[in-house]
Amino acid sequence: MKNKTPSRFKTFLSWLIRLSIVGIVILAILMAYLDAQVREKFEGKRWALPAKVFARPLELYPGLELKPKYLVQELDQIGYQRVPNVITPGQYSLDGNEMDVYRRYVKLYDGEEASARVHLRFSGNTIDGVWLDGQPVALARLEPLLIGGIYPKHNEDRQLIQLQDAPSLLLKTLVAVEDRDYYDHFGISLKGIARAMVVNVQRGGLVQGGSTLTQQLVKNFFLTRERTLVRKATEALMAILVELHYSKDDILETYLNEVYLGQSGRRAVHGFGLASQFYFGKHISRLSAPEIATLVGMVKGPSVYNPKRKPENALARRNVVLGVMHDQGLISDYEFAVWQKRELDVVQYSQYQRIEYPAFLDLVRRQLRSDYADKDLTSEGLRIYTSLDPIIQRSAEQAMSNRLASLESGYRMPKDSLQGAMVIAGTESGEVEAVVGDRNPRYFGFNRALDANRSIGSLAKPAVYLTALRSPEYNLITPLDDSEIKIAGANGSIWQPQNYDKESHGTVPLYQSMAQSLNQATARLGLQIGLTNVVQTFNDLGVERDIPAYPSIVLGAFEMNPFDVAQMYQTIAASGFKTPLKAIRGVTTQDGQLLSRYGYDVKQAIKTEPIYLLQKIMQRVVKEGTARYLNSQFDASLNLAGKTGTSDSQRDSWFAGFSGDKLAVVWVGRDDNESMPLTGSSGALRVWAQTFKDLPLKPLYPLPTENIIEQWVDVEQNAISSEDCDGAVLLPFIQGRLPLQTLNCAQEPAPSTGKSWWSRMFD
Amino acid sequence: MKSVLLVVFIALLTACSTAPYQSIDQIEASNSDVLAQLPNWYHQNLGLQLNGGNAYPDQTALASLLKQADLEFIRGNFQACQILLERAQRISTREPSVYVRLSYLFWLENNTRSAEQMARRALALVVSDTQASEEVKRLLVAIQANQY
Repeated sequence: MKNKTPSRFKTFLSWLIRLSIVGIVILAILMAYLDAQVREKFEGKRWALPAKVFARPLELYPGLELKPKYLVQELDQIGYQRVPNVITPGQYSLDGNEMDVYRRYVKLYDGEEASARVHLRFSGNTIDGVWLDGQPVALARLEPLLIGGIYPKHNEDRQLIQLQDAPSLLLKTLVAVEDRDYYDHFGISLKGIARAMVVNVQRGGLVQGGSTLTQQLVKNFFLTRERTLVRKATEALMAILVELHYSKDDILETYLNEVYLGQSGRRAVHGFGLASQFYFGKHISRLSAPEIATLVGMVKGPSVYNPKRKPENALARRNVVLGVMHDQGLISDYEFAVWQKRELDVVQYSQYQRIEYPAFLDLVRRQLRSDYADKDLTSEGLRIYTSLDPIIQRSAEQAMSNRLASLESGYRMPKDSLQGAMVIAGTESGEVEAVVGDRNPRYFGFNRALDANRSIGSLAKPAVYLTALRSPEYNLITPLDDSEIKIAGANGSIWQPQNYDKESHGTVPLYQSMAQSLNQATARLGLQIGLTNVVQTFNDLGVERDIPAYPSIVLGAFEMNPFDVAQMYQTIAASGFKTPLKAIRGVTTQDGQLLSRYGYDVKQAIKTEPIYLLQKIMQRVVKEGTARYLNSQFDASLNLAGKTGTSDSQRDSWFAGFSGDKLAVVWVGRDDNESMPLTGSSGALRVWAQTFKDLPLKPLYPLPTENIIEQWVDVEQNAISSEDCDGAVLLPFIQGRLPLQTLNCAQEPAPSTGKSWWSRMFD
Repeated sequence: MKSVLLVVFIALLTACSTAPYQSIDQIEASNSDVLAQLPNWYHQNLGLQLNGGNAYPDQTALASLLKQADLEFIRGNFQACQILLERAQRISTREPSVYVRLSYLFWLENNTRSAEQMARRALALVVSDTQASEEVKRLLVAIQANQY
């Protein structure tokens, strides 16, 4: 009888077969899974393209006030090269009063500007002639500065290229250095692996990989940087799958766009397209052989061989790559000898090595949020055109950091104890031109311009006086009572505001009370005209937050951020016409299709007449009131207007000021909300002054209407007077709101005694 | 009367413009529907009262942008026209004819709220010019009554 018990060998074989089947099934499932991953990544959108954000394009025209140094600064920032004679786009020359700019082709949200030679002639700090390709023109636009991107969380940035954009020398060099068998293998290179194994055994660990370009790409796309055998095996499988599905050219093009080539601040530079702009300030197609060698050399170690940070390493590595190029016959003996001695020629300043404007970008992002999802902003490659003026922004940043430092040393405050914020906008357009959210303007953190809610102090007063001037009972010389005032609160507390000088000033005319920022008179006025009316004026001026109708609001005992204050003062500066402050002009797709436009919008929120009177008073604040420091700094013909603000215990220093075309709101304070030895006048006002000291401003002319009349009056007696009467002054009034009394002198001819000090008020 | 004014207006634009454009016949043919909607005193208002005669402002950059804007208007490209007017506004923030043009644009797009606000903005800027002021007031009244 035969023994039917299977032999041990057969049992083993049977199990082996079963396990193999299970293994094959698992491998098949794994391959199917990996295959799906590979195809999804390659056939979908391969990269998230961050939105690119641009500043305003600079308009050049005869009559424009622009210091040549600012134009040079802007051209340097947008990556133009200064040369003796311009030959190609992207160059400029400056010779005395004549400037040539060879403008690059530029696509904007509202059209395009062809590449052309722009010739400018300056007369001092003003452009007095513009020529385009030799023809005189009325105006010409430059390309806008790229001011940042809206990145996904990993901060990857890249500029996509196609394979045909890359010089063939770059492709050959890359293959020669990184993967010599690229065109022969099927995703993995057995020769490469064998070579790596020898090295690893010799060194006793995993020190070299035998990765092909395909494997490197797979690793970057799908896997971690971890060096384990499981990861290596997965990488090999995926590389084979990639090669099965896609052509060598397709894989190489993807690699060129994916490879990591260094860091620029928070931004990761990916791909040869962006890297050639970032390191050499030129398009990839224009790279020279040594530049190609430098970039290809970086693939091995983007940090170690970074030509900006570690030039010695990068130079040595470049020469190694040049050696490979030479060995492979890609460059001649002579070229090899010459190029080895060449400098790295990395550009120090290029459009792509940009300064970023975190506070402004934050505003852009918030304003876009209502129309675009975060994902669209970080992945669709949108182009966002804004109103940022880099010249004004730079001036604001410098003024903020320099002034805060000098205030700290001047008032013996601890170093870096002060912080500041600023918002600058066009008075009529409502376009935001600069935002500072921190004394370190490159700081990506708490944005004080938008998020620091602080007591506004006397910045509230214009709303109180405007409320009065809107009502028929008040005019500029209405007498106000500046005696002490006590108001009982609901919980038994007593509110007793005092003037800054701790004095009472008796009866004062309305305009003077505001120019001198008298707290007692303002508190009484606010109660007289009604707190709900004052709140209504705040709302009309554009303040959207809820303001409780408490007496202390008339002295600004409530919080606002600098941006919201700027909105309120924009309405005042634009003669009562409120325009929502906006930072964005238009958004296009990556290829220039207009998606949305943010045009000019306006609403008359306050009648022109009371605003006219208010502006006149605010000009007095500058001429002889709390902001008179500006007098010593600016030409009197600018007729600047403004208001200082200091909150309780001097915790906040504010200044809101405007010319005919620019409005700026400045806040200075401490993050811990401690008091400072600063008022609005000694703190924020100084930052404002320094910001605009060197910038062109247009004069402010308040707009009268036919309902505004000029009348000789006697301020002290609150009565109509006449030119010939003693102490008479000529003041603007709204029709029908003249003083009720008339002096006898005004009815009888009297000898002229000349103008009193009142007369100088509205000269 | 209306058609005479239209022809005068187009002839004026043609004479003033340096930008490439269609011939008058082409413009008339392709834009008759737009022009037909214009109020018959529209042409008088744009330049006649606001710039001391039916002319563009002296400042060349501003004048150039206004001319381009007018051409886009005649072609019916209201968005392009508005963008050019906003560029003009940035160069000269207080040029009333910019706001008058914007007012017409919004009116023709049936946005009477914005049309009225633009006209009010213009009105605040022309106060020293009585005749221009009267013209803008008439515009304002017409917008409020929604009468072309």
